[in-house]
Amino acid sequence: MTLPASRLSDEDLRARMQQFHWWHSMVLRPGVTTFGGKAEELLAQEEEAFLAPFNLTGRTVIDVGAWNGFFSFAAKRRGARRVLATDSYTWTHPSFRGREAFELARDELGLDVEALHLDPTEIDEKVGLFDVVLFIGVFYHLYDPIDALQRLRGITRQLLLVETHQDLMEKPSPGMVFYPGAILNHDATNWWGPNPGLMLHLLLQLGFTRIFYRDHPVLGRARGTYAAFTPEVEAGLIQQLGPPWLDLDVPGAVEDLLARA
Amino acid sequence: MSETELFQAVAAHRWLQSLRLRPNLLTPGMAPEARLVAEERALLDPLNLTGADVLEVGAANGFFSFAARRRGAARVVATDHLAWTLPGADAQSATQWAAHALNLEVETIPLDPRSLSADFGSFHVVLGTAFCEQLFNPIQALRGLRSVTNRVLVLETLQAELADPRPMMTAQNQIMPFGGADGSWISGWAPNPALMLQLLLDLGFNRVLYRTHPTLGTTRGIYAALLPEAPDGLLAGFETPWINMTAPATG
Repeated sequence: MTLPASRLSDEDLRARMQQFHWWHSMVLRPGVTTFGGKAEELLAQEEEAFLAPFNLTGRTVIDVGAWNGFFSFAAKRRGARRVLATDSYTWTHPSFRGREAFELARDELGLDVEALHLDPTEIDEKVGLFDVVLFIGVFYHLYDPIDALQRLRGITRQLLLVETHQDLMEKPSPGMVFYPGAILNHDATNWWGPNPGLMLHLLLQLGFTRIFYRDHPVLGRARGTYAAFTPEVEAGLIQQLGPPWLDLDVPGAVEDLLARA
Repeated sequence: MSETELFQAVAAHRWLQSLRLRPNLLTPGMAPEARLVAEERALLDPLNLTGADVLEVGAANGFFSFAARRRGAARVVATDHLAWTLPGADAQSATQWAAHALNLEVETIPLDPRSLSADFGSFHVVLGTAFCEQLFNPIQALRGLRSVTNRVLVLETLQAELADPRPMMTAQNQIMPFGGADGSWISGWAPNPALMLQLLLDLGFNRVLYRTHPTLGTTRGIYAALLPEAPDGLLAGFETPWINMTAPATG
Protein backbone atom coordinates (compact mmCIF):
# COMPACT_ATOMS: atom_id res chain seq x y z
CA MET A 1 0.00 0.00 0.00
CA THR A 2 1.23 3.50 -0.79
CA LEU A 3 0.31 6.20 1.65
CA PRO A 4 -0.22 9.86 0.85
CA ALA A 5 3.14 11.61 0.50
CA SER A 6 4.11 14.34 2.96
CA ARG A 7 3.39 17.94 2.13
CA LEU A 8 6.72 19.46 3.17
CA SER A 9 8.17 21.97 0.74
CA ASP A 10 11.43 20.96 -0.96
CA GLU A 11 13.21 23.49 1.22
CA ASP A 12 11.66 22.18 4.45
CA LEU A 13 12.37 18.58 3.45
CA ARG A 14 16.04 19.36 2.79
CA ALA A 15 16.25 21.16 6.13
CA ARG A 16 14.84 18.09 7.93
CA MET A 17 17.19 15.79 6.02
CA GLN A 18 20.21 17.80 7.13
CA GLN A 19 19.41 17.01 10.76
CA PHE A 20 20.48 13.40 10.28
CA HIS A 21 23.54 11.40 9.20
CA TRP A 22 22.36 9.30 6.26
CA TRP A 23 23.75 5.94 5.18
CA HIS A 24 21.39 5.16 2.32
CA SER A 25 21.27 7.54 -0.64
CA MET A 26 17.65 7.64 -1.71
CA VAL A 27 15.66 9.89 -4.02
CA LEU A 28 12.81 11.05 -1.81
CA ARG A 29 11.22 13.17 -4.54
CA PRO A 30 12.50 14.49 -7.89
CA GLY A 31 15.54 16.62 -7.17
CA VAL A 32 15.74 15.69 -3.48
CA THR A 33 18.20 12.92 -2.56
CA THR A 34 19.46 11.97 0.90
CA PHE A 35 23.15 11.63 -0.15
CA GLY A 36 24.15 8.94 2.33
CA GLY A 37 27.46 7.14 2.79
CA LYS A 38 26.29 4.49 0.32
CA ALA A 39 25.82 5.83 -3.20
CA GLU A 40 22.52 5.52 -5.02
CA GLU A 41 24.13 3.51 -7.84
CA LEU A 42 25.73 1.03 -5.42
CA LEU A 43 22.44 0.52 -3.61
CA ALA A 44 20.63 -0.02 -6.90
CA GLN A 45 23.09 -2.79 -7.79
CA GLU A 46 22.77 -4.31 -4.32
CA GLU A 47 18.98 -4.27 -4.52
CA GLU A 48 19.11 -6.02 -7.87
CA ALA A 49 21.61 -8.60 -6.56
CA PHE A 50 19.92 -9.28 -3.22
CA LEU A 51 16.20 -9.00 -3.99
CA ALA A 52 15.61 -9.53 -7.72
CA PRO A 53 16.03 -13.34 -7.51
CA PHE A 54 12.94 -13.56 -5.31
CA ASN A 55 9.25 -12.97 -5.85
CA LEU A 56 8.26 -10.93 -2.84
CA THR A 57 4.67 -10.39 -3.94
CA GLY A 58 2.39 -11.06 -1.01
CA ARG A 59 5.25 -12.11 1.30
CA THR A 60 6.05 -10.92 4.79
CA VAL A 61 9.53 -9.43 5.19
CA ILE A 62 11.56 -8.33 8.20
CA ASP A 63 14.63 -6.16 7.64
CA VAL A 64 17.04 -6.64 10.56
CA GLY A 65 19.41 -3.69 10.74
CA ALA A 66 17.34 -1.49 8.42
CA TRP A 67 19.11 1.82 9.23
CA ASN A 68 17.55 4.34 6.80
CA GLY A 69 15.28 1.67 5.34
CA PHE A 70 16.47 1.33 1.74
CA PHE A 71 15.94 -2.44 1.56
CA SER A 72 12.68 -2.27 3.51
CA PHE A 73 11.34 0.24 1.01
CA ALA A 74 12.64 -1.87 -1.88
CA ALA A 75 10.89 -4.97 -0.53
CA LYS A 76 7.64 -3.04 -0.22
CA ARG A 77 7.94 -1.69 -3.75
CA ARG A 78 8.54 -5.26 -4.92
CA GLY A 79 5.15 -6.28 -3.66
CA ALA A 80 5.71 -7.52 -0.11
CA ARG A 81 2.42 -7.64 1.78
CA ARG A 82 3.99 -6.66 5.09
CA VAL A 83 7.44 -5.18 5.77
CA LEU A 84 8.82 -4.66 9.26
CA ALA A 85 11.97 -2.52 9.50
CA THR A 86 13.98 -3.06 12.69
CA ASP A 87 17.16 -1.56 14.07
CA SER A 88 18.72 -0.55 17.35
CA TYR A 89 22.28 0.76 17.13
CA THR A 90 21.83 3.20 14.24
CA TRP A 91 18.32 4.16 15.31
CA THR A 92 19.42 5.26 18.78
CA HIS A 93 22.85 6.62 17.84
CA PRO A 94 22.88 10.32 18.82
CA SER A 95 24.52 11.41 15.56
CA PHE A 96 22.93 8.98 13.14
CA ARG A 97 19.37 9.40 14.49
CA GLY A 98 18.52 6.58 12.14
CA ARG A 99 14.94 6.04 13.32
CA GLU A 100 13.97 9.64 12.65
CA ALA A 101 15.72 9.54 9.27
CA PHE A 102 13.94 6.29 8.42
CA GLU A 103 10.57 7.77 9.36
CA LEU A 104 11.20 10.93 7.36
CA ALA A 105 12.06 8.85 4.28
CA ARG A 106 9.13 6.47 4.79
CA ASP A 107 6.65 9.30 5.17
CA GLU A 108 8.04 11.12 2.18
CA LEU A 109 7.94 7.98 0.03
CA GLY A 110 4.47 7.17 1.31
CA LEU A 111 5.29 3.48 1.84
CA ASP A 112 3.43 1.36 4.38
CA VAL A 113 6.48 -0.04 6.20
CA GLU A 114 6.27 -0.77 9.92
CA ALA A 115 9.09 0.13 12.30
CA LEU A 116 10.16 -1.61 15.49
CA HIS A 117 13.10 -0.80 17.74
CA LEU A 118 14.71 -4.22 18.12
CA ASP A 119 18.30 -5.28 18.67
CA PRO A 120 19.30 -8.51 16.84
CA THR A 121 20.52 -9.89 20.17
CA GLU A 122 16.96 -9.70 21.52
CA ILE A 123 15.02 -11.18 18.61
CA ASP A 124 12.80 -14.08 19.54
CA GLU A 125 9.58 -15.72 18.47
CA LYS A 126 7.53 -12.88 19.94
CA VAL A 127 8.31 -10.79 16.85
CA GLY A 128 6.55 -13.41 14.71
CA LEU A 129 7.45 -15.52 11.67
CA PHE A 130 8.42 -13.94 8.35
CA ASP A 131 8.63 -15.44 4.88
CA VAL A 132 11.83 -13.50 4.24
CA VAL A 133 14.39 -12.25 6.75
CA LEU A 134 16.90 -9.67 5.51
CA PHE A 135 20.18 -9.51 7.47
CA ILE A 136 22.23 -7.17 5.32
CA GLY A 137 25.52 -5.77 6.60
CA VAL A 138 24.97 -6.76 10.23
CA PHE A 139 26.57 -10.19 10.90
CA TYR A 140 30.12 -8.86 11.30
CA HIS A 141 29.00 -6.00 13.54
CA LEU A 142 27.87 -8.42 16.26
CA TYR A 143 30.15 -9.71 19.01
CA ASP A 144 28.10 -12.92 19.07
CA PRO A 145 26.83 -13.47 15.52
CA ILE A 146 26.22 -17.17 16.21
CA ASP A 147 23.49 -16.27 18.68
CA ALA A 148 21.97 -13.78 16.25
CA LEU A 149 21.82 -16.34 13.43
CA GLN A 150 20.19 -18.82 15.78
CA ARG A 151 17.58 -16.22 16.72
CA LEU A 152 16.94 -15.35 13.08
CA ARG A 153 16.42 -19.02 12.22
CA GLY A 154 13.61 -19.01 14.75
CA ILE A 155 11.68 -16.30 12.89
CA THR A 156 12.39 -17.45 9.30
CA ARG A 157 9.57 -19.23 7.49
CA GLN A 158 11.24 -19.53 4.06
CA LEU A 159 14.37 -17.49 3.36
CA LEU A 160 17.14 -15.89 5.41
CA LEU A 161 19.28 -13.55 3.31
CA VAL A 162 22.64 -12.79 4.96
CA GLU A 163 25.04 -10.27 3.48
CA THR A 164 28.39 -9.85 5.23
CA HIS A 165 32.00 -8.78 5.16
CA GLN A 166 34.15 -11.91 4.85
CA ASP A 167 37.72 -12.99 5.44
CA LEU A 168 39.94 -16.11 5.52
CA MET A 169 39.19 -16.65 1.85
CA GLU A 170 42.37 -18.70 1.49
CA LYS A 171 40.88 -21.43 3.69
CA PRO A 172 38.14 -23.79 2.49
CA SER A 173 37.65 -25.10 6.02
CA PRO A 174 35.02 -23.17 8.00
CA GLY A 175 36.45 -20.37 10.10
CA MET A 176 36.09 -16.79 11.20
CA VAL A 177 38.57 -14.11 12.19
CA PHE A 178 38.06 -11.87 15.21
CA TYR A 179 38.91 -8.17 15.03
CA PRO A 180 39.84 -6.73 18.44
CA GLY A 181 39.34 -3.03 18.94
CA ALA A 182 39.03 -1.12 15.69
CA ILE A 183 41.54 -3.04 13.57
CA LEU A 184 39.07 -3.64 10.72
CA ASN A 185 38.56 -0.37 8.84
CA HIS A 186 39.17 1.66 12.01
CA ASP A 187 35.65 0.73 13.11
CA ALA A 188 35.23 -0.60 16.66
CA THR A 189 31.85 -2.09 15.71
CA ASN A 190 33.45 -4.64 13.35
CA TRP A 191 33.99 -7.94 15.17
CA TRP A 192 34.11 -10.98 12.86
CA GLY A 193 35.09 -11.99 9.35
CA PRO A 194 33.64 -15.39 8.39
CA ASN A 195 34.56 -17.35 5.26
CA PRO A 196 32.05 -19.10 2.96
CA GLY A 197 32.79 -22.50 4.52
CA LEU A 198 31.86 -21.12 7.91
CA MET A 199 28.64 -19.48 6.74
CA LEU A 200 27.64 -22.72 5.05
CA HIS A 201 28.42 -24.67 8.23
CA LEU A 202 26.42 -22.36 10.50
CA LEU A 203 23.40 -22.16 8.22
CA LEU A 204 23.26 -25.95 7.75
CA GLN A 205 23.64 -26.52 11.49
CA LEU A 206 20.70 -24.21 12.07
CA GLY A 207 18.45 -26.32 9.87
CA PHE A 208 18.51 -24.45 6.59
CA THR A 209 18.59 -27.09 3.87
CA ARG A 210 19.58 -25.20 0.73
CA ILE A 211 22.27 -22.50 0.72
CA PHE A 212 23.11 -20.34 -2.30
CA TYR A 213 25.97 -17.85 -2.49
CA ARG A 214 27.08 -14.94 -4.61
CA ASP A 215 29.89 -12.37 -4.42
CA HIS A 216 29.00 -8.74 -3.90
CA PRO A 217 27.92 -7.19 -7.22
CA VAL A 218 30.50 -4.38 -6.92
CA LEU A 219 32.94 -5.28 -4.14
CA GLY A 220 33.44 -8.88 -5.23
CA ARG A 221 34.66 -11.58 -2.86
CA ALA A 222 35.28 -9.12 0.00
CA ARG A 223 31.61 -9.46 0.81
CA GLY A 224 29.30 -12.41 0.35
CA THR A 225 25.55 -12.90 0.16
CA TYR A 226 23.97 -16.13 1.36
CA ALA A 227 20.40 -17.17 0.56
CA ALA A 228 19.46 -19.85 3.09
CA PHE A 229 16.19 -21.69 2.57
CA THR A 230 14.15 -23.63 5.10
CA PRO A 231 12.62 -26.98 4.17
CA GLU A 232 9.26 -25.16 3.99
CA VAL A 233 10.29 -22.81 1.15
CA GLU A 234 7.62 -22.42 -1.53
CA ALA A 235 8.74 -22.90 -5.13
CA GLY A 236 7.17 -19.58 -6.09
CA LEU A 237 9.51 -17.57 -3.87
CA ILE A 238 12.48 -18.14 -6.16
CA GLN A 239 12.33 -16.39 -9.53
CA GLN A 240 15.85 -17.17 -10.70
CA LEU A 241 19.04 -18.17 -8.90
CA GLY A 242 21.33 -18.69 -11.86
CA PRO A 243 24.92 -17.42 -12.12
CA PRO A 244 26.50 -15.66 -10.33
CA TRP A 245 24.58 -17.50 -7.61
CA LEU A 246 26.24 -20.78 -6.67
CA ASP A 247 24.63 -23.77 -4.99
CA LEU A 248 26.87 -23.98 -1.91
CA ASP A 249 25.39 -27.04 -0.20
CA VAL A 250 26.83 -29.62 -2.58
CA PRO A 251 30.16 -31.43 -2.09
CA GLY A 252 33.14 -29.42 -3.27
CA ALA A 253 31.19 -26.20 -3.83
CA VAL A 254 33.24 -24.13 -1.38
CA GLU A 255 36.50 -25.39 -2.87
CA ASP A 256 35.23 -24.57 -6.38
CA LEU A 257 34.24 -21.09 -5.27
CA LEU A 258 37.65 -20.36 -3.74
CA ALA A 259 39.42 -21.70 -6.83
CA ARG A 260 37.63 -19.03 -8.85
CA ALA A 261 39.26 -16.20 -6.94
CA MET B 1 26.92 -50.97 48.36
CA SER B 2 28.64 -54.31 48.08
CA GLU B 3 31.66 -54.84 45.89
CA THR B 4 29.54 -57.09 43.68
CA GLU B 5 27.01 -54.28 43.20
CA LEU B 6 29.81 -51.88 42.35
CA PHE B 7 31.30 -54.17 39.71
CA GLN B 8 27.82 -54.70 38.25
CA ALA B 9 27.20 -50.93 38.14
CA VAL B 10 30.49 -50.35 36.36
CA ALA B 11 29.63 -53.04 33.82
CA ALA B 12 26.16 -51.59 33.27
CA HIS B 13 27.33 -48.10 32.26
CA ARG B 14 29.09 -46.69 29.22
CA TRP B 15 32.11 -44.82 30.58
CA LEU B 16 33.67 -41.72 29.08
CA GLN B 17 36.57 -41.55 31.52
CA SER B 18 38.76 -44.21 33.12
CA LEU B 19 38.27 -43.82 36.86
CA ARG B 20 40.14 -45.96 39.37
CA LEU B 21 37.40 -46.86 41.81
CA ARG B 22 39.39 -49.62 43.51
CA PRO B 23 42.99 -50.78 43.10
CA ASN B 24 41.64 -53.59 40.90
CA LEU B 25 38.71 -51.71 39.34
CA LEU B 26 39.22 -49.20 36.55
CA THR B 27 36.15 -48.03 34.66
CA PRO B 28 36.53 -48.83 30.93
CA GLY B 29 36.45 -45.21 29.79
CA MET B 30 37.39 -43.79 26.42
CA ALA B 31 39.81 -41.34 28.02
CA PRO B 32 42.74 -43.41 29.37
CA GLU B 33 43.77 -43.06 32.98
CA ALA B 34 47.32 -41.95 32.20
CA ARG B 35 46.07 -39.05 30.07
CA LEU B 36 43.55 -37.99 32.68
CA VAL B 37 46.16 -38.07 35.43
CA ALA B 38 48.48 -35.90 33.32
CA GLU B 39 45.60 -33.50 32.58
CA GLU B 40 44.72 -33.29 36.25
CA ARG B 41 48.26 -32.27 37.11
CA ALA B 42 48.34 -29.70 34.31
CA LEU B 43 44.95 -28.24 35.22
CA LEU B 44 45.02 -28.30 39.00
CA ASP B 45 48.64 -28.41 40.25
CA PRO B 46 49.05 -24.61 39.86
CA LEU B 47 46.09 -23.95 42.17
CA ASN B 48 45.62 -24.39 45.91
CA LEU B 49 42.06 -25.67 46.10
CA THR B 50 41.88 -25.98 49.88
CA GLY B 51 38.52 -24.60 50.97
CA ALA B 52 37.59 -23.50 47.44
CA ASP B 53 34.18 -23.71 45.79
CA VAL B 54 34.66 -25.40 42.41
CA LEU B 55 32.31 -25.73 39.45
CA GLU B 56 33.11 -28.12 36.62
CA VAL B 57 31.28 -27.87 33.29
CA GLY B 58 31.44 -30.76 30.87
CA ALA B 59 32.38 -33.09 33.72
CA ALA B 60 31.71 -36.33 31.76
CA ASN B 61 32.25 -38.91 34.56
CA GLY B 62 33.64 -36.38 37.04
CA PHE B 63 37.33 -37.26 37.00
CA PHE B 64 38.45 -33.68 37.60
CA SER B 65 35.64 -32.93 40.07
CA PHE B 66 36.76 -35.90 42.17
CA ALA B 67 40.34 -34.67 41.89
CA ALA B 68 39.30 -31.20 43.10
CA ARG B 69 37.54 -32.72 46.11
CA ARG B 70 40.61 -34.81 46.93
CA ARG B 71 42.70 -31.65 46.69
CA GLY B 72 40.67 -30.04 49.47
CA ALA B 73 37.88 -28.14 47.71
CA ALA B 74 35.07 -27.35 50.14
CA ARG B 75 32.31 -27.70 47.58
CA VAL B 76 32.43 -29.27 44.12
CA VAL B 77 29.56 -29.08 41.63
CA ALA B 78 29.98 -31.33 38.59
CA THR B 79 27.80 -30.49 35.60
CA ASP B 80 27.41 -31.68 32.05
CA HIS B 81 24.95 -31.05 29.28
CA LEU B 82 24.97 -33.33 26.24
CA ALA B 83 26.69 -36.31 27.87
CA TRP B 84 24.12 -36.25 30.66
CA THR B 85 20.97 -35.30 28.77
CA LEU B 86 20.99 -36.73 25.24
CA PRO B 87 18.64 -39.72 24.79
CA GLY B 88 20.26 -42.80 26.24
CA ALA B 89 23.08 -40.87 27.92
CA ASP B 90 23.95 -42.44 31.26
CA ALA B 91 27.07 -40.52 32.22
CA GLN B 92 25.41 -38.66 35.11
CA SER B 93 24.30 -41.93 36.66
CA ALA B 94 27.81 -43.33 36.14
CA THR B 95 29.27 -40.25 37.83
CA GLN B 96 26.99 -40.67 40.82
CA TRP B 97 28.01 -44.33 41.14
CA ALA B 98 31.65 -43.30 41.00
CA ALA B 99 31.19 -40.61 43.67
CA HIS B 100 29.57 -43.18 45.89
CA ALA B 101 32.31 -45.71 45.29
CA LEU B 102 35.04 -43.13 45.95
CA ASN B 103 33.21 -41.75 48.99
CA LEU B 104 33.59 -38.22 47.63
CA GLU B 105 30.85 -35.66 48.05
CA VAL B 106 30.30 -34.08 44.64
CA GLU B 107 27.00 -32.53 43.53
CA THR B 108 25.87 -33.48 40.02
CA ILE B 109 23.60 -31.13 38.05
CA PRO B 110 22.73 -31.34 34.32
CA LEU B 111 23.56 -27.92 32.91
CA ASP B 112 23.91 -26.19 29.54
CA PRO B 113 26.74 -23.68 30.12
CA ARG B 114 25.07 -21.26 27.70
CA SER B 115 22.25 -20.86 30.21
CA LEU B 116 24.54 -20.05 33.14
CA SER B 117 23.94 -16.80 34.99
CA ALA B 118 24.94 -15.37 38.36
CA ASP B 119 21.76 -16.89 39.82
CA PHE B 120 23.49 -20.29 39.67
CA GLY B 121 26.05 -19.24 42.26
CA SER B 122 29.59 -17.99 42.53
CA PHE B 123 32.68 -20.18 42.46
CA HIS B 124 36.33 -19.53 43.21
CA VAL B 125 37.38 -21.88 40.44
CA VAL B 126 35.40 -22.79 37.33
CA LEU B 127 36.79 -25.62 35.21
CA GLY B 128 35.84 -26.72 31.71
CA THR B 129 37.56 -29.42 29.67
CA ALA B 130 36.99 -30.40 26.01
CA PHE B 131 35.31 -27.01 26.00
CA CYS B 132 34.95 -25.27 22.64
CA GLU B 133 34.79 -28.42 20.52
CA GLN B 134 31.45 -29.43 22.00
CA LEU B 135 29.72 -26.04 21.88
CA PHE B 136 27.82 -24.54 18.95
CA ASN B 137 28.20 -21.15 20.61
CA PRO B 138 31.34 -20.88 22.77
CA ILE B 139 31.00 -17.08 22.94
CA GLN B 140 27.72 -17.43 24.80
CA ALA B 141 29.07 -20.25 26.98
CA LEU B 142 32.13 -18.20 27.98
CA ARG B 143 29.83 -15.38 29.10
CA GLY B 144 27.92 -17.90 31.17
CA LEU B 145 31.09 -19.22 32.82
CA ARG B 146 32.28 -15.69 33.54
CA SER B 147 29.02 -14.93 35.34
CA VAL B 148 29.69 -17.62 37.96
CA THR B 149 33.48 -17.17 38.35
CA ASN B 150 34.83 -15.03 41.16
CA ARG B 151 38.56 -15.88 40.94
CA VAL B 152 39.86 -18.24 38.24
CA LEU B 153 38.49 -19.84 35.07
CA VAL B 154 40.43 -22.87 33.81
CA LEU B 155 39.67 -24.13 30.31
CA GLU B 156 41.00 -26.99 28.22
CA THR B 157 40.04 -27.07 24.54
CA LEU B 158 40.79 -28.31 21.08
CA GLN B 159 42.69 -25.67 19.15
CA ALA B 160 43.82 -24.94 15.61
CA GLU B 161 45.58 -22.34 13.45
CA LEU B 162 48.28 -21.73 16.06
CA ALA B 163 50.72 -20.35 13.52
CA ASP B 164 48.31 -17.63 12.41
CA PRO B 165 48.70 -14.45 14.49
CA ARG B 166 45.13 -13.40 13.72
CA PRO B 167 42.59 -14.32 16.41
CA MET B 168 40.31 -16.92 14.84
CA MET B 169 38.37 -20.12 15.30
CA THR B 170 37.48 -22.93 12.96
CA ALA B 171 34.25 -24.89 13.10
CA GLN B 172 33.96 -28.65 12.99
CA ASN B 173 31.62 -31.52 13.62
CA GLN B 174 32.63 -34.56 15.58
CA ILE B 175 30.85 -37.69 16.65
CA MET B 176 30.45 -38.11 20.39
CA PRO B 177 29.99 -41.49 22.07
CA PHE B 178 26.56 -40.81 23.59
CA GLY B 179 23.00 -40.06 22.56
CA GLY B 180 22.21 -43.31 20.79
CA ALA B 181 23.92 -46.50 19.71
CA ASP B 182 25.82 -44.74 16.92
CA GLY B 183 26.63 -41.65 18.96
CA SER B 184 25.69 -38.07 18.08
CA TRP B 185 27.21 -35.48 15.78
CA ILE B 186 28.20 -32.43 17.80
CA SER B 187 29.07 -29.08 16.25
CA GLY B 188 31.86 -27.14 17.89
CA TRP B 189 34.95 -25.00 17.44
CA ALA B 190 38.73 -24.97 17.64
CA PRO B 191 39.99 -21.48 18.60
CA ASN B 192 43.61 -20.37 18.43
CA PRO B 193 45.36 -18.90 21.50
CA ALA B 194 45.20 -15.38 20.05
CA LEU B 195 41.41 -15.59 20.01
CA MET B 196 41.09 -17.15 23.45
CA LEU B 197 43.21 -14.33 24.88
CA GLN B 198 40.97 -11.66 23.34
CA LEU B 199 37.71 -13.31 24.39
CA LEU B 200 38.93 -13.78 27.97
CA LEU B 201 40.20 -10.20 28.22
CA ASP B 202 36.88 -8.91 26.86
CA LEU B 203 35.13 -10.81 29.66
CA GLY B 204 37.09 -8.90 32.30
CA PHE B 205 39.86 -11.37 33.10
CA ASN B 206 43.09 -9.39 33.39
CA ARG B 207 45.72 -12.14 33.55
CA VAL B 208 45.63 -15.06 31.12
CA LEU B 209 48.03 -18.00 31.30
CA TYR B 210 48.44 -20.67 28.66
CA ARG B 211 50.08 -24.02 28.09
CA THR B 212 49.72 -26.85 25.64
CA HIS B 213 48.27 -30.22 26.59
CA PRO B 214 50.65 -32.42 28.65
CA THR B 215 50.27 -35.51 26.44
CA LEU B 216 48.50 -34.34 23.25
CA GLY B 217 50.74 -31.32 22.65
CA THR B 218 49.72 -28.39 20.49
CA THR B 219 46.45 -29.94 19.33
CA ARG B 220 44.94 -28.79 22.60
CA GLY B 221 45.40 -25.72 24.80
CA ILE B 222 44.89 -25.02 28.49
CA TYR B 223 44.07 -21.55 29.78
CA ALA B 224 43.88 -20.10 33.28
CA ALA B 225 42.15 -16.73 33.35
CA LEU B 226 42.30 -14.66 36.53
CA LEU B 227 39.85 -11.94 37.51
CA PRO B 228 41.15 -8.72 39.08
CA GLU B 229 39.91 -10.06 42.45
CA ALA B 230 42.41 -12.95 42.27
CA PRO B 231 45.65 -12.07 44.08
CA ASP B 232 48.91 -11.93 42.15
CA GLY B 233 50.21 -14.62 44.49
CA LEU B 234 48.16 -17.12 42.48
CA LEU B 235 50.53 -16.64 39.56
CA ALA B 236 53.35 -18.33 41.48
CA GLY B 237 51.83 -21.75 40.87
CA PHE B 238 52.00 -21.41 37.10
CA GLU B 239 55.49 -22.62 36.33
CA THR B 240 56.98 -23.61 32.97
CA PRO B 241 55.49 -24.69 30.56
CA TRP B 242 52.82 -22.16 31.45
CA ILE B 243 53.30 -18.77 29.87
CA ASN B 244 51.65 -15.53 30.96
CA MET B 245 49.98 -14.20 27.80
CA THR B 246 49.28 -10.88 29.51
CA ALA B 247 52.73 -10.24 30.95
CA PRO B 248 54.32 -7.00 29.67
CA ALA B 249 56.86 -7.66 26.93
CA THR B 250 60.42 -7.41 28.16
CA GLY B 251 63.64 -6.48 26.42
